[in-house]
Amino acid sequence: MKLAIRVFFFLPALLLADQAGTSLGTSAVVARGDKLFAQGCAVGYCHGSAGAAARSPRLRGRTFERDYLVKVIRDGIPNTAMPAWGDRLTDDDINALVAYIQSLATASGDGPAPSETASLAPPVAVKDSDLSPDVRQGRELFYDPQRLQRCSNCHRVQGIGTPVGPDLAKLSRAQLAAEAVNALKYGRPRRVQGIVTKDGDRFPAILIERGPSETRIYDLKAIPPVQRNLPTTEIQSIQQPSGWRHSQAVQSYATDELKAVWTFIRWVTERK
Amino acid sequence: MTRLLTLSLLIGSALLAQDGSTKENWPEYGGQNSAWRYSALDQVDTSNVAQLAAAWVFQTGDNDGGLQSTPLVIDGVMYVSTSHNRVFALDAVTGKRLWSYIYELPKTFTTFYGPWNRGVAISEGRLVMGTLDNHVVALDAKTGRQLWKVNVEDANQCGCNITAAPLIAKGKVIVGVTGGDSAHRGYLNAFDLKTGRHLWRFWTIPGPGEKGHETWQGDSWKFGGGSTWMTGSFDASLGLVYWAVGNPAADFYGGNRKGDNLYTDSIVALDVETGKLKWHFQQVPHDVWDWDAAYEIVLAEIPINALPRKVLINVSKGGYTYVLDRTTGEFITAWPVAKNINWIKGVGPKGELLGRNEPVVGKPKLICPSIGGGRSWNHGAWSPKAGLFFTTGIEWCEEVTAQAETPSEGKTFFGGTFKLVPTPDKKSGGHLGAYEPLTGKAVWKYEYKYPLLASVLATAGNLIFTGDAEGDFFALDARSGKKLWSFNTGSGHRGSSISYSVNGRQYIATPSGWGSAVAGLMQQFWPETEQFPNGSAVFVFALPEQKR
Ligand code: HEC
Repeated sequence: MKLAIRVFFFLPALLLADQAGTSLGTSAVVARGDKLFAQGCAVGYCHGSAGAAARSPRLRGRTFERDYLVKVIRDGIPNTAMPAWGDRLTDDDINALVAYIQSLATASGDGPAPSETASLAPPVAVKDSDLSPDVRQGRELFYDPQRLQRCSNCHRVQGIGTPVGPDLAKLSRAQLAAEAVNALKYGRPRRVQGIVTKDGDRFPAILIERGPSETRIYDLKAIPPVQRNLPTTEIQSIQQPSGWRHSQAVQSYATDELKAVWTFIRWVTERK
Repeated sequence: MTRLLTLSLLIGSALLAQDGSTKENWPEYGGQNSAWRYSALDQVDTSNVAQLAAAWVFQTGDNDGGLQSTPLVIDGVMYVSTSHNRVFALDAVTGKRLWSYIYELPKTFTTFYGPWNRGVAISEGRLVMGTLDNHVVALDAKTGRQLWKVNVEDANQCGCNITAAPLIAKGKVIVGVTGGDSAHRGYLNAFDLKTGRHLWRFWTIPGPGEKGHETWQGDSWKFGGGSTWMTGSFDASLGLVYWAVGNPAADFYGGNRKGDNLYTDSIVALDVETGKLKWHFQQVPHDVWDWDAAYEIVLAEIPINALPRKVLINVSKGGYTYVLDRTTGEFITAWPVAKNINWIKGVGPKGELLGRNEPVVGKPKLICPSIGGGRSWNHGAWSPKAGLFFTTGIEWCEEVTAQAETPSEGKTFFGGTFKLVPTPDKKSGGHLGAYEPLTGKAVWKYEYKYPLLASVLATAGNLIFTGDAEGDFFALDARSGKKLWSFNTGSGHRGSSISYSVNGRQYIATPSGWGSAVAGLMQQFWPETEQFPNGSAVFVFALPEQKR
């Protein structure tokens, strides 16, 4: 689960910065692993206090190969609840966790008293220092979960969003040179077409694939767009132009918000 | 004269009352949209249930997370969904597969809330389902062909997904979301059944400028949980959709979300056309125990002071059953389904909590019930014939240690850890009870050494069906709780059984397949349960042909 977006959003400081990098004795390493485990792995429905099992497997009283633990912690187990921690933990952190989990192999049913693992400093949200405030604001607006109509409903950038509209990381220099408002509100839609079905429904759509029996489209009448598989025989006509305007899609954004979003897109494109 | 008037009023309203029983078909998740889980079929009854025998078994082939769904049956076809969003259409008489659908999951997706799926909804020949990557899909119920698919919110951003069955009301697909243990703001969405177009959204946490927003501190509303992870109910005569909203996040730590935190841990009644809030009732203001109000909402008609009243019944995770007037949201009563409850002293006459016992930061504290709940999500059943509500309950405690935590979008947000511990009387375990809905008096109780985690089915044959962790699927006499029949399916029960009939023959069907979060939690306390086998199959029973 490599989630680029998360890396940029926050680097939760599970790591106890003061200790990182220093070489520690075994018991100190295990103690550090214990603390990391309590903050990241024992929480809620995960592995349970001191690995006693919960929604995720029991870790107490089991033996694991060191290399296996490192890999699973760093890369996660795809398509399970086990996330990859490689983007959030240092190698030292991972080593400490491995030492701690291995120390549980001989543990009996009862974990250490929870008080040992308590009252740690809360994780701190660390902002990616590379980002200018404009880019950061633009990125937040682009994916803004608090608005029903947001760019990521129709554009997939850095792995997040639905790829209905074009890939914005591939904009040309000339396109990028445009003013934000001109580019985002008044750009001429070329790919959007108007579909009329036999039962009289008319709507703007992007054609994904047209087969003899089935036509796959993105229906743009509402946001988020709907991927629909229409029987080809149900389609009366497909027209261009559709009457659809990109300005309708970005209505929820004020002009200065569009400027910030545009700065973010330029930043994404330039990074490529 | 008064008697006569009352009588005619009773009869009159009985005619008007919503009939939530099922007959040949089991068309909706809760039986009907009133969630009774009560079948009016009575061919199988207390006198002949001992002869119930297996008619067929269907193996789904995906054991991961067990089988937690409610099969639907419409006109002789059974539809069942499994983990990883697979759907099978089966001949309900023979079990023969008619079609299957495997949802195409992206290469990477998060399953923090589990790989399971709890059911689908069907109407006007369309079958709809929520997915692990937070989409809603519609299929042609005849062929399994995909008709439309819409992304509610990117699962990799929100860390949330959909495991509950949608509710279809007035041509609208109403669907909730998980995310209550993550830094996420909950919602409920309605989509058009025919086209998949979005119709309305109800935010379970009011935004700036909306009423109730003031019950959240600072930015905490953006990350406050309030998921809608189970299925709601619908009263067509009132035009109201009822949904139960889950806990606020972080679960155990409320230090950065001071206030009541509306509408978490609340029942909300929404206008089906607009999604606008008609009324709400909050069970737990400022929850710090993870007491979702997320479970089923049973819509019943119960006489109160000799007059029939439209009520709703909802069991909460904190172990109390709430009875509300469903027209107005007025509190009627609340009573416990578990003995071991210490997070409050009780519920007052207006529904207010008495004597809160909150977790503290950095120090373990004994809280009962455990996070697994005074009852888990597995549903109860309402039998109008018996006038009783049948529900399971769990006796277990935990030691909670709260921990200050700041939110990070889409990431888990628990605010603490917990460890299961025995109840003070050392009698941890589960039970199924038959309760008078207004007094909470248990007419009988069936006890079991582990939590009972399967839903309850009630039938007009005076039977109660459910299954246990060790694989027994069994029938009790609804009047006495006496066990009349049992069959071991080889894997534990975590799903919801149903009844239906085809060509005059009554069938009882049950999913079998051990798994789920709470089944996992049980291992902390009952280590032997780690060895209980997973499974994923549907077992169907009927009386032998000649016995009918
Ligand atoms: C409802 C869907 C939708 C939303 C929401 C949306 N877009 Fe688009 N966007 C499209 C479609 C479709 C196109 C392609 C139009 C065409 O060429 O016909 C497009 C085109 C674009 C283009 C031009 C790309 C090119 O290759 O010419 C840019 C830039 C763009 N969108 C940025 C944004 C930004 C930034 C936002 C948010 C402020 C946004 N879009 C919101 C659907 C959407």
